[in-house]
Amino acid sequence: MNGIEQETGNGSTLIRLSGEVDLSWSQQVRKAVLDALAASNRVGVELSAVSYIDSSGIAALVEGFQTARTKGRGFALVAVSDAVRSVLELARLDRVFPIVADASSIPEVTGTPAWKP
Amino acid sequence: MSARPAPHVVAAGSSEARALVFLADLSQTLAVSLDLRQTLDEAINRIAGFMGAEAASLFLLEADGKMLECRVCVGPVDLTGLRIPVGHGVVGRAVSENASQIAVDAQNDMRVDRTPDAETGFVTRSLLCAPLSTAKGPIGALEVVNKRDGGVFAFEDAEILRLIAAPTALAINNARMAFELVEQSRLKREFELARRLQKSLLPKRRRDGFPVLGVNLPAHEISGDFYDFFDLANGRIGFVIGDVSGKGLDASLLMVRAASLLRWVGREGTAPAEWLARVNEDLCQTRLDGRFVCALVGHCDRAAENVVFAAAGFPPALLHRDGQFTEYLSGGPPLGIVAEAEFEEQSVAIGGGAFYCFSDGVTDVRDAHRQTIGSDGVRRLIERHAGSSTEPRLRGMISELKHLRLVDDTTVLVIESPQARGSEILLERRFAAQPEQMREMRSALRNALDDAGIDVTMRDRLVLAVDEACCNIIRHAYGTQRTGDIALRVASDGNGLEFRLLDWAPPVDPCCVQPKPLGEVRAGGLGVALIDSVMDHWSVSVRPDASGNRLIMHKQIKATNTLGEEQE
Repeated sequence: MNGIEQETGNGSTLIRLSGEVDLSWSQQVRKAVLDALAASNRVGVELSAVSYIDSSGIAALVEGFQTARTKGRGFALVAVSDAVRSVLELARLDRVFPIVADASSIPEVTGTPAWKP
Repeated sequence: MSARPAPHVVAAGSSEARALVFLADLSQTLAVSLDLRQTLDEAINRIAGFMGAEAASLFLLEADGKMLECRVCVGPVDLTGLRIPVGHGVVGRAVSENASQIAVDAQNDMRVDRTPDAETGFVTRSLLCAPLSTAKGPIGALEVVNKRDGGVFAFEDAEILRLIAAPTALAINNARMAFELVEQSRLKREFELARRLQKSLLPKRRRDGFPVLGVNLPAHEISGDFYDFFDLANGRIGFVIGDVSGKGLDASLLMVRAASLLRWVGREGTAPAEWLARVNEDLCQTRLDGRFVCALVGHCDRAAENVVFAAAGFPPALLHRDGQFTEYLSGGPPLGIVAEAEFEEQSVAIGGGAFYCFSDGVTDVRDAHRQTIGSDGVRRLIERHAGSSTEPRLRGMISELKHLRLVDDTTVLVIESPQARGSEILLERRFAAQPEQMREMRSALRNALDDAGIDVTMRDRLVLAVDEACCNIIRHAYGTQRTGDIALRVASDGNGLEFRLLDWAPPVDPCCVQPKPLGEVRAGGLGVALIDSVMDHWSVSVRPDASGNRLIMHKQIKATNTLGEEQE
């Protein structure tokens, strides 16, 4: 089932999403990401239990990423599931987001994405 | 290069050394051939030669384990075919006691049966017999009679014969196992031929707007289930579904007979109740050894508006119409049990619904917890696939059943109004244009695309594109001020899939619906870009009657998994 869980500690927040992220609750996801970026220096969105994501869900993540860059915060997608990865690939955003394997690897600062041909 | 001693020629060295060489040689001969008859003929000759005996014979235990029969023999008297009870005479004792027997003075030995001597004039002076022992007990005995040099068999000879008996027993066992293997593979081939013959009895699927569709999944090589349909002289269609009690070859032979009888009587256009009664009479006239046939036969018109049927001990037929199920119980006993049985005829108005007949193999399918799915399980199965048109629905149901545990032959027959040719509806749904409806829409669409045999990666992309299209209708066509419905139809034609979405919102300016470049890091406009990337082409237009908008998306892809292949 759909769900948002949060873990906060040492100035960083990990938002754990599960279920199918779609238009029916992507605004909650967006708010959770933006609130976390207001409160923490480093924010990770854990996506291993997400079986589906639509463009509104991707948009919430894009907005988080842009906010982090503007504010000089660290932001990354953590443990991305295959379902999410294939949508990111389809949207050609798989090389834009910092994607890390676990919460300890979330960067301190989100820079300009490395340009890869 | 082996040192093969010729019979009667005493080789240099001790008798033990000679025996070892002979044994090695005999074992090799026995090991290389699987032709029991030829091998034993050769072996018995050489054994007689080596033992210096006037005669030698080999007895094998018969299948019932009570009698021994002489199968191979060498010497002045031909004993082949002679039968001796186990426990009787020297040979019989060797087997019953599983121990070598030696008779030094045969003429005065109580154990020796002298009947053959009396009949043939042969004089048995001395004899020696060793059992052919295997792990499962003796399978026969090896006997040598009279020393050529006039002497008598000694204890040492008995030991040598016991040693010789070992590789002989082994060779017979091997040859028997080889024979069984050959027999098994022959049976397997025969079963495969029987399976093909049975399949050839099932009617070919009709594509000419025919209202009857059937599928049969045998649980084993051969099936006791069958179905049939054919045109009748009056323009109506006759159909049959049947299930023979029991499994295996005898059930499948009865199936062939029952299927032929039902077709033969049914083709005349006989009314269903009379049709079953006549087949029942015929089956009751011959002995079925407790076997019987459950069947449902009927007539329908080409538009499948009305079905008239009669059933003999067959599971209840189900009418699924407007989301409701109606059950029709069998009105007569199975065929082949009671002569002069009567069958009840029932008439059903299908009225746009679907009439399902299925063998008990369907209700007996086991789920993950090894429970039979039962009648409720079958209803849920039908409901899960109700959104698709007949063929993909049946295909989807069958593929779901195949993932469960089939314990019996499984056969389904559906009678339903034939859909328009050319395109096949995979899914048709109307739902409120609300984000909360999307999850269920996606799930139904995934099922429908799975049923059409679309691979998972492509399926997920198509689901995403349709979801994005619906979200755009919700957010931009209806907006926050209005509410309404979305009607989704997924159809498959020869070229691929067509996804059609209708709404009842104010007209949308197609120029406003344009894809943004992908890979851009911004929050809006991604949906249309995803649709554009997944679909081959798509277009938005205002519906002709201006009641709303129409979005049509195409993807060139073939629905691969057809019912025909399912049955191959």
